[in-house]
Amino acid sequence: MNIRMISLVAAAATFGLAVTHAADVAKAPGAAAAPADFTGDWQRYPGFGRGGKPDPATLPPPDGKMVLKPQYQGPYDAKRAKERASDAKGEPIAGSGVDCLPYGMPEMMSAIYPLEILQTPGQVTIIAEAFSQVRRIYLGKTQPKIEEVPPGYYGHSVGHWEGKTLVVDTVGVKESVLGHSEMPHSDKMRITERMHLVTPDILHDQITVEDPVTLEQPWTFTFAYKRIANYEMLEYVCENNHEYIDDQGVTRLRLQDQEK
Amino acid sequence: MATFTTGRGLMPGLTLIVLGLGAVLPAFAHHSFALFDHQNRITLTGTVIKFEWTNPHVFIQLEVPDGAARKHYTVECASPNVLTRVGWKFNDVKQGDKVTLLINPLRNGQSGGMLEKATLADGRQLSDGNPPAGVFPRS
Repeated sequence: MNIRMISLVAAAATFGLAVTHAADVAKAPGAAAAPADFTGDWQRYPGFGRGGKPDPATLPPPDGKMVLKPQYQGPYDAKRAKERASDAKGEPIAGSGVDCLPYGMPEMMSAIYPLEILQTPGQVTIIAEAFSQVRRIYLGKTQPKIEEVPPGYYGHSVGHWEGKTLVVDTVGVKESVLGHSEMPHSDKMRITERMHLVTPDILHDQITVEDPVTLEQPWTFTFAYKRIANYEMLEYVCENNHEYIDDQGVTRLRLQDQEK
Repeated sequence: MATFTTGRGLMPGLTLIVLGLGAVLPAFAHHSFALFDHQNRITLTGTVIKFEWTNPHVFIQLEVPDGAARKHYTVECASPNVLTRVGWKFNDVKQGDKVTLLINPLRNGQSGGMLEKATLADGRQLSDGNPPAGVFPRS
């Protein structure tokens, strides 16, 4: 092999590598290459921001109705009635929030405090200020079977782009994690999100929850967010919880003189 | 001596809060606020023992003259996030400050409550940012 041939082979190899690299990048778009850029800080919209009337064209559509199977609807209604009665007595029965635990999916996306979205090659990362919750959406990956995903608060999420809409599939949310409106769910729950920019500064996340065990039909609702400029996410460590659950399951406030 | 104000006539202020600060509704997701008496308010004037700028809630530990003795109150505020949005800073309150707090007292009669409005040592008045429980459905 002469020098010229070696050069040709080297050039071909380099070219081949370059093509492979370009293909990888195309499969795994980051902020620059992605069809839409959600990178930034977001707060729930409307209602959580102050000032100004929202443009109706940017509002989320009305939520669908959560229809539980009868064997779940009865206990659900009874629990909500018990909550209302205990609230009226001033002895609220404890919800999961009293334990200072994160909300998990999908309630994390209700964004009680702002969300930060980061797009990097192959991944979209969503950080919720509340409880410093983090979920990672892996782009272009195949979702394992539900029974192979270890249950967690945020589940396992994979995503792909359909035009400018990021479609996200999530499974593997722990059964102890209460859903939106405290919806009960099984280990068969699947969450499909369709995230898209309605305007450069308004993001919609249409969430469809399916659960063949607890739900009669898929339940769809949409969270909308407005971009916040120049925001710096606050640290959130749930370190000083004065609420506690007494032996009757009632939420109480721990006073300082009870701490000693 | 703790000064007690009338508890009724809350509606005008309540409406204002709903219009102006619907922004902070989700703070209710942490827990029900039904342990506080939102129909009654008391005003406490005392000395700050401790200012806890923490999650899930900010707390003001306050000592209030009670005859010859002093009574300790634990006052729950909103979160650092919510308070920041309505103008508070982490160092706005210091140990030894004389402050006046308008609170919804605990319904079980213990000496604690939920902040509605604070008058700080420098005279600034700051709200707690949270709408009273019951204004929005429990989430």
